[in-house]
Amino acid sequence: MLSFIFRRLALTAATMLAVSLLVFLLLELNPGSVAVKVLGPYSSEEQRQLWLEANGYLNPLWQRYLEWLGRMVTGDFGESIRFKVPVAEVLWPRLWNTAILAFWTFAVLIPLSLTLGVLAGMREGSRLDRAISITSIITTSIPEFASAVFLSAIFVFGLGILPGTSAMSNGFDPLQLILPVMVLVLYDVGYVTRMTRASMAEVMTAPYIRTAVLKGIPFPRVILRHGLRNALIPPFTVIMLQINWLLSGVVVVEFFFAYKGFGALLLEASLNQDIYLIQACAMVAVFVAVTTQTLADIGYTYLNPRIRLQ
Amino acid sequence: MSDPTKNPIHPALPELAEKARRGRIGRRDFLRTAALLGASAATAHSLLGVALKPGSAMAAETPKFGGNLRVSMNVMDISDPAIFDWSQKGNQARHIIEPLVQIDKDNIARPHLAEKWEASEDLKTWTFHLRKGVKWSNGDDFGADDVIATFRRWLSPETGSSNIGRFAAMTTTTDTGKKDENGKPIKKTSMSEGALEKIDDHTVRFHLNTPDLSLPESMGDYPALITHRRFVEDGANFIKNPIGTGAFELKEFKVGERMVLTKRKGKYWGGDVYLDQITYIDHGDDPAAQIAAFASDQVDTTYETGVEQVAAIKSLPMLDLYETITAQTGIARFKVTEKPFDDRRVRQAIQACIDHDRLRTLLYGEYGAAAEDHHVSPVHPEYAELPKLKQDYAKAKKLLAEAGHAGGLKVRIDCVASPSWEQNACKAIAEMCRPAGIDIEINVMPGGTYWDRWTTTPFGFTNWTHRPLGVQVYNLAYRSGVPWNESSYSNPEFDSLLDVAGTKIDPEARRADMAKLQKILQDDAVFVQSLWRSVFVAANKRVRGLYAHVALEHHYNKVWLA
Repeated sequence: MLSFIFRRLALTAATMLAVSLLVFLLLELNPGSVAVKVLGPYSSEEQRQLWLEANGYLNPLWQRYLEWLGRMVTGDFGESIRFKVPVAEVLWPRLWNTAILAFWTFAVLIPLSLTLGVLAGMREGSRLDRAISITSIITTSIPEFASAVFLSAIFVFGLGILPGTSAMSNGFDPLQLILPVMVLVLYDVGYVTRMTRASMAEVMTAPYIRTAVLKGIPFPRVILRHGLRNALIPPFTVIMLQINWLLSGVVVVEFFFAYKGFGALLLEASLNQDIYLIQACAMVAVFVAVTTQTLADIGYTYLNPRIRLQ
Repeated sequence: MSDPTKNPIHPALPELAEKARRGRIGRRDFLRTAALLGASAATAHSLLGVALKPGSAMAAETPKFGGNLRVSMNVMDISDPAIFDWSQKGNQARHIIEPLVQIDKDNIARPHLAEKWEASEDLKTWTFHLRKGVKWSNGDDFGADDVIATFRRWLSPETGSSNIGRFAAMTTTTDTGKKDENGKPIKKTSMSEGALEKIDDHTVRFHLNTPDLSLPESMGDYPALITHRRFVEDGANFIKNPIGTGAFELKEFKVGERMVLTKRKGKYWGGDVYLDQITYIDHGDDPAAQIAAFASDQVDTTYETGVEQVAAIKSLPMLDLYETITAQTGIARFKVTEKPFDDRRVRQAIQACIDHDRLRTLLYGEYGAAAEDHHVSPVHPEYAELPKLKQDYAKAKKLLAEAGHAGGLKVRIDCVASPSWEQNACKAIAEMCRPAGIDIEINVMPGGTYWDRWTTTPFGFTNWTHRPLGVQVYNLAYRSGVPWNESSYSNPEFDSLLDVAGTKIDPEARRADMAKLQKILQDDAVFVQSLWRSVFVAANKRVRGLYAHVALEHHYNKVWLA
């Protein structure tokens, strides 16, 4: 196990290194365009040259990359062009906000989808199963930007009971969290439910379940005691991978509700050519992606003793 | 609303209303004339396109003191007022620090921190008399030292301020003797010796190298806010030391989130100020978020409502919509030094395909004003009216044939992806050119990419923002060899006529020259212009004293909440 973890950490580091090189080449290959991005399109050639010289951009490419990498590793992500503060000052609070959103989404999503999935899968083909499956497919088919608009139209414009934006400008306001969480849950519940349902249905066909039923154990106990533990293994992996989606895939929801999260930050950085912020966000996103995969793999091994990590 | 059959409006009124909407005659003049011609107040206002708000124009309401105005706008970094490059930054800071001259909502330069100004005959020496009795928020008196310190900072190249170009007439460019990597000589621009002269504590004289009649208007531009004379010594950080002459003080500031301003504790030179607090809230860049914020009463007004949101805003019952026609526009400009656009007949052919009024309707519906392909707006004081351009496909085809493209022409225009009206303008222009056999391919790209090549592309759609005077635009864009001359247009006759126009400070006197200059640009078909854009500002009905400024400036000193 320990060697597995070490190997995985090495893989994480290697992936991040590769991505960092890619990001650097994409954004900082041409020093002239960096100057334009930082100083703006109305800057003069003279001002750009002064800035390039002052910031070490006239050095060879490999030197710039290594210096940049050194700064990244020590936590100096540079300064955001748009916000004019160190990137770290903007990045970590935004990441925390997305974490809050992710937490509450999970808090609603996991119990809801697991319950629905189990109920659907325990009796495959029943009316309950069909109802849940169809609802899941419908909700998954509606993209977030559409459901955001629908829910907003109902609750903000129609009924007027929920706030239209979630900028949290007066401090944390739980009311402002409701709509974004609703949209995210609505979108994802179908997927996790159906994964759980599929897994549950498969478990229900296993011989030991049949044995338990034939032994006369009450059906609820069969589900809870014998079926659930095995049925929940694949959904666990799925849920772990949803963390990745909750990090940057929620950009549509964050943008629509003006929620100050990580996804919106990356989008704003991209639209405004804020290259240091883009680089930092890209590295964070890669780190989260690789780490969640590693954690999913390790967790899966614990849950399923038949899997051996090689 | 009056029944048109019962009270038919005088036939002269619609045309007068159009002139008033375009700023050719003043609104007051129009309303007076309309009343004389028998129109009711409601009719007159509806002709102007303004819904009569109960209790606003008719019965003068007494302003109420107090309240917090919540504004949805991007909250950007404003630590150095000299390098402002977004109008939003100007808005954030303008409540605290102020300009010498302020452009009011009718696009006229009015005294602000400067009480009055005179220019010499040759327009090279300008004397500005500063207002007396103005105090900084730290108790110091405002005076010539502050103005000179601020200007000195703007005009030094190390600051990186756009003002060094704005006030180029006060600068000198010298060859440093060094060469850059391409072998070109490296030049340095800095303040000319003796450009700033302190006459006394409240009088500053500017000595320009070339005549500049637009100096007051330039002083009213958003990056020209005056900071305290010790701004640099105190650390050159406006957030840490928000010392200002304005009616508000900085209470709270968080980039990308919110900014809170509270009413100044001391006395303000400009009289009564009604609001207790202004709160700027950053809702990101999604316009839908602002509409949702309006609907759930989280904001009172926003920075700008785009034309695509006008319909949505009008459907919300609690909002008023303010509109102003501006000199903001987008031009589909040719590079006159490159094929096929180096042939004037090709450019004129494309120009002849355009129906400008239809173009306006396609892009802005009932709003905006039709453009005339010479980049001088009806809101510019020196605007000269020329015979209207007409769509003429026969003429277009004939010109194309003469230029050797009888079988049709295929060209490509570069255009930014957003905002959408720019793409729509390109599409509309392409559609209009099709019947003449001109096939325009639209090459859409992200904003950053376009701005890398806006001065080099053979055919590009460029967004130009509002400037108070027509001659300013001409000096920036069409004079030979200037940095922003994206079309590479070079016409010595145009340049010398522009010099002549630049000596006449009275717009009336300038008009005859402008007529000639406009005609030259139009005949040379340097570009096809989309329209003169309106700007829209939406606000909750409880907000009084608000208007849509031509450059979207925030003048909140006389705003109050009912």
